[in-house]
Amino acid sequence: MIQPLLQIDRICVSYGDLEVVHDVSLSVAEGAVVTVIGANGAGKSTLLNALIGLNPSRGAILFGGNSISGNALEQRVKSGLGLVPERRELFADMSVLDNLLLGGFRRSRAERNETLETVLQKFPRLRERGRQLAGTLSGGERQMLAMGRALMARPKLLMLDEPSLGLAPRIVRDVFEILVELRSSGVSILLIEQNARSALKIADFAYVMELGRITASGTPAEISADTRLVESYLGFGKNTY
Amino acid sequence: MGRYRNLAPVVAIAILALPFSGLISDFWISLLSNIGIASLVALGLVVLTGVGGMTSFGQAAFVGFGAYTTAVLTIQVGLSPWLTLPISVIVTMVGAFLIGAVTVRLSGHYLPLGTIAWGISFYYLFGNIAGLGGHDGLSGIPALSIFGHKLLGSRDYFVVVWVILVLAIVATRNLMRGRMGRAVRALHDSSLAAEAFGVQSAAIKLAVFVYAAMLAGVAGWLYAHFQRSVSPGPFGITAGTEYLLMAIIGGPGRIYGAIMGATLVIVLRDQLQSLLPWVVGSAGNFEAIVFGAILVLLLRTATDGLWSRIFGPPSPPQFGSSPDGPTEPSIERPEPGSPLLEVRDLRKVFGGLVAVNDVNFSAPAGRIVGLIGPNGAGKSTTFNLITGVLRPSGGSVLFRGENVGTHTPQHMARVGVSRSFQHAAVVPDMSVVENVMLGAHLRGKASMVSATLGLDRAEEARLFAIAKRQLERTGLAGVAMAPVGSLSLGQLRLLEIARALALAPVMLLLDEPAAGLRVGEKKELARLMRELRQEGVGILLVEHDMDFVMSLADHLIVLDFGTGIAEGDAHAIRENPRVIEAYLGGVE
Repeated sequence: MIQPLLQIDRICVSYGDLEVVHDVSLSVAEGAVVTVIGANGAGKSTLLNALIGLNPSRGAILFGGNSISGNALEQRVKSGLGLVPERRELFADMSVLDNLLLGGFRRSRAERNETLETVLQKFPRLRERGRQLAGTLSGGERQMLAMGRALMARPKLLMLDEPSLGLAPRIVRDVFEILVELRSSGVSILLIEQNARSALKIADFAYVMELGRITASGTPAEISADTRLVESYLGFGKNTY
Repeated sequence: MGRYRNLAPVVAIAILALPFSGLISDFWISLLSNIGIASLVALGLVVLTGVGGMTSFGQAAFVGFGAYTTAVLTIQVGLSPWLTLPISVIVTMVGAFLIGAVTVRLSGHYLPLGTIAWGISFYYLFGNIAGLGGHDGLSGIPALSIFGHKLLGSRDYFVVVWVILVLAIVATRNLMRGRMGRAVRALHDSSLAAEAFGVQSAAIKLAVFVYAAMLAGVAGWLYAHFQRSVSPGPFGITAGTEYLLMAIIGGPGRIYGAIMGATLVIVLRDQLQSLLPWVVGSAGNFEAIVFGAILVLLLRTATDGLWSRIFGPPSPPQFGSSPDGPTEPSIERPEPGSPLLEVRDLRKVFGGLVAVNDVNFSAPAGRIVGLIGPNGAGKSTTFNLITGVLRPSGGSVLFRGENVGTHTPQHMARVGVSRSFQHAAVVPDMSVVENVMLGAHLRGKASMVSATLGLDRAEEARLFAIAKRQLERTGLAGVAMAPVGSLSLGQLRLLEIARALALAPVMLLLDEPAAGLRVGEKKELARLMRELRQEGVGILLVEHDMDFVMSLADHLIVLDFGTGIAEGDAHAIRENPRVIEAYLGGVE
């Protein structure tokens, strides 16, 4: 069996004494789009932040066959993990180009300029807006800039935290189409989404997360057919409280 | 302080007796008088900068106000120094009120820069007014006298200085542990929360500014009669910076730290001046360099201030018990089911983004209404529009029939709307119970004056009892006296609710109260909310935990992209295809 690109085994993440992600295991195969879907508060972002190294976690993280669980954030980025954070977190007072160049901060100048060219080819919109301040972009453009900035570091695995957030359905479709293109250019993708239906449409494999646990996994077709998916978002109607 | 609390009076008496012990020389006695005078100014800064977060470099100018007022009135008008004391204080306070009314509004770096600006300008003003003696100043200021006995000796004067200092310490301590003190501390850390419980931030900041200036004015009066002459030099920006340094070295917000800081700065400077030429062997300005280096080291090593370094963090104040006062107010709540909050065509636009798009709903008394929707749907913005934190771009908010759409958070608190915050907005350096007492801010009346005089004890005991009662209701009674920093995430959420209840609300707005709670804690919270509903409190709840909100809410409103897309009971909402689409994404 081929070693998956990313494999995590029984990850737990806590804030203080409160554990919010419990024993989560998942894997991302090379060249695949894998999605983790679930309602707000399920612990998806917390899990992603733990993978990139923003939150401390317990458990094993193997990336490209090497354990990175002891590595600091910058080392994880260097080894090929890239994060497009929730709410994009752009440098609003800097130009689009400067935002992109910062994404390739660790690369040499020649390499950076070369990558910039390929990123701008992927996002012609960003080339048009190059001198504009990031804070003046529309929601969809911001999301593209956040993705472009992450790609500037030439990640092997691009992890996206809710790229559809706040975007109109038509724009969500555009953004997800770009993800499909990225996969065909060889980037593996871990997609955290609340917008389950859009994510399932492009994913090769899906996990459902609820209250800090993975409660279902399978192909998009299997997950879509599962009635529990709606329940995981809108509650079980059992009057637990 | 804790175990040192009872030592304070003993130490005070020991210090006052010091000059008559024959142990120390006249030189040290006058040095100690200078320390006492500087401590008064630093004490004001401990309140202004350390507690209130307003950094002032210009405090020396207020010392000048006090000093020049008494100098002119005693020399040129011939008034008695004791008569000029109140006049000096009033002149300083009026001056501070006028300056403060302009400067205190400044935020961020602009406030300290503003204080530097007037700190410099008053120095030149004092030096350029002929009536104040120009840069040479005024001399021949009469000494103080008591019952015909002139206080000429440094030992006599020492007693006057330190008696006044002790009085100022007592007044400042009283002020800081009372209702206004809590408001000032809260403003510094979380002005949003303070204002949501009715704290008038602008007025309180100005009052603190005037209080700090008053202490500086008293120090100026003391200084003038001690030196018997005044000139602009000691009232300039250099002196202002030194006073600030004294307050910071001692530790932000630490009253005795002011004295410690003043002692350190004055003794160090003086001793270095006499020691260094002897060590280095030439008369350069080495003391300034060494003085600076030592201060940098002190600031580096004791970031919380020296006082905290040595004596530990402050202990929470003690409150008396209040056997008779009722802890639940006899407010009349509207009939359950009668209209309470009505939101009509509410709209908020940020630049080109419509965050809240003509939203309509109502929340009656004695009902729990849930406001739900995916991330970014505009729920928190709606909350902020209702509570007066944001102004609507259109539409109206009616509370008990009154249009409150453009009112302040303080007004909303006064009409009985209380809230919790999504990210616990507590005051970290106060105890749990004091944070809850902040919620009862509007249920007390004590002014700053009555607080400094210690006349607010009965009221404080009552507010304490109110807070204790709400802590019992939320299951936090066991940690009432603990510092907020020691609480878990779940306990912090409950603390937010206890604080909201301390206002005695007619309506309660809870922003994700169940986030971070364990199952048992959620059950406890649900029980409490049902109890409140029973009492007729109207509850509006933003919550992501669907099982929680659907079990509790009588009625649900669903927002998506700022627009209301559905409302109804839990069953109807769960079946609604538009709601499912909003949460899970569209089926194309």
